[in-house]
Amino acid sequence: MEELINKIKSSITLSSKAEEYLFSISKEKTVPKGEVLIRQGQAVKKTYFVTNGCLRSYCIDKDGKEHTLQFAIKEWWISDFIAIYNNELATLTVECITDSTIIEFNAKELDGIHSLYPEFEAFQRKNLERHVVSLHKRILNQLQLTAQERYDLFLEQYPDIEQYTPNYHIASYLGITQQSLSRIRAEKVNK
Amino acid sequence: MKALQLIKYGEIKDSLAFNEVSKPIIQATDVLIEVRAAAINPIDKSIVLGNLQSLLPIPFPSTVAYDLSGTVVEKGDDVSNFEVGDLVYSRVPQEQMGTIAEYVAVNSMAVSKKPGNITFEEAAGLPLAGLTALQSLEYAGIKENDSVLIHAGSGGVGSFAIQYAKSKGAYVLTTTSTNNVNWVKELGADRVIDYKTEDYRSIVRDVDIVFDTLGQNYTLEAFEVVKQDGKVISIVGPLDEASAASFGIPDYKLPEELAKLSNDKNAEYKFIFMHPNGQHLSEIKSLIEDEKIKPIIDTVYSFNESVEAFTHLASGRAKGKIVIKIA
Repeated sequence: MEELINKIKSSITLSSKAEEYLFSISKEKTVPKGEVLIRQGQAVKKTYFVTNGCLRSYCIDKDGKEHTLQFAIKEWWISDFIAIYNNELATLTVECITDSTIIEFNAKELDGIHSLYPEFEAFQRKNLERHVVSLHKRILNQLQLTAQERYDLFLEQYPDIEQYTPNYHIASYLGITQQSLSRIRAEKVNK
Repeated sequence: MKALQLIKYGEIKDSLAFNEVSKPIIQATDVLIEVRAAAINPIDKSIVLGNLQSLLPIPFPSTVAYDLSGTVVEKGDDVSNFEVGDLVYSRVPQEQMGTIAEYVAVNSMAVSKKPGNITFEEAAGLPLAGLTALQSLEYAGIKENDSVLIHAGSGGVGSFAIQYAKSKGAYVLTTTSTNNVNWVKELGADRVIDYKTEDYRSIVRDVDIVFDTLGQNYTLEAFEVVKQDGKVISIVGPLDEASAASFGIPDYKLPEELAKLSNDKNAEYKFIFMHPNGQHLSEIKSLIEDEKIKPIIDTVYSFNESVEAFTHLASGRAKGKIVIKIA
């Protein structure tokens, strides 16, 4: 929880009452590898802040294959935001791919926190800005970079991820086949 | 719900029929699976033809087939390892046979989450053949640098066994017909023997393991090519004594010739009868997700074409699995 409070305090001044409220709507949890926190097709009530470990969000297509949308490592937020903001059932599944420590928030209470403590408005806006920037970069990278370049960027962003996630998670995040990923890796080794 | 049922033993077209049956009711240890795809195996054909009626008597009508993939839609009170919404695959236990249906109740011990990187159709083709190969080669204690002869490398069990043996670092020899040589090589086999032009007995010498998927004279010949103290594992040959005892045949003796060959080389003969096992399916899931093993599909039929799928199976010409898309 300390990580999150520090992160918030780095962008806004947080009153002790607001800090107390934040504690009251959150719960720090350790969750084992493989645990599913949000399941496609079910209601979504929680948002998660990662303090340690790695989570993954993915959708399952009509044929049963998984497509990774996001990996969330330390100090990232993860949930099914489509479901939360549009009040729909989950289109994503969120699972822990390592043993992780997370802070779980009631999504509605977190979303409405600025009406009780206006200082959160700036923090939430900044968070949203970061999120939009990250999404736009991901889309542009997908449109204009080669698979090799996307893989290199991915490793910069998630340096240790190959040690704990199967190749197919990474291949599906990059939008390439596992064979292509193996080829790219082999080319890197031979360079 | 709709299900493909065996209504009598005999020719495929006369023995199988679509019936409207009630949706299964689960027990405390079961999950109810909405089936997305089912797959058929040689045993399903043998059941329909009545070839197994003394070993596995089937009451009429019974829904057919054992392999499936799908989604958990309900779970029993004692099930803790699955949740509603999980995507799973299974080779269902004998008493729960009947996967060519919209819903199947399955003991959760026989179920695993499906590999995430393949489709429902691909996953449905894995359980029976995969479990058979894995349990056979695991019994043989396969390890790095072992040499293993796998008969019928292009079959459902053989093609899985080649890839599994390679994932363990073994040297794999396999037999197949001329038309299949190239794609069987692509599975990773080190030496593919074209049985139409080559005699495997003049090529294979002193292997650590023979995996017999053909039976009859191949079971006996295995002792010509296995090394002293090696292992011959069969899924179609005669029962061994321990297996016979487990089937309730206490005074069974191994056929004399087979016993002599096994004794002469001090090479164990073991009959493997595949057993449903969710834990083993989880191992297969990891091998598939790491691309150590690739599913091989011959044809996907629609639910309405299930009888045609059986006719195709009976032709014996499939290269890979025959799958039925249920939903």
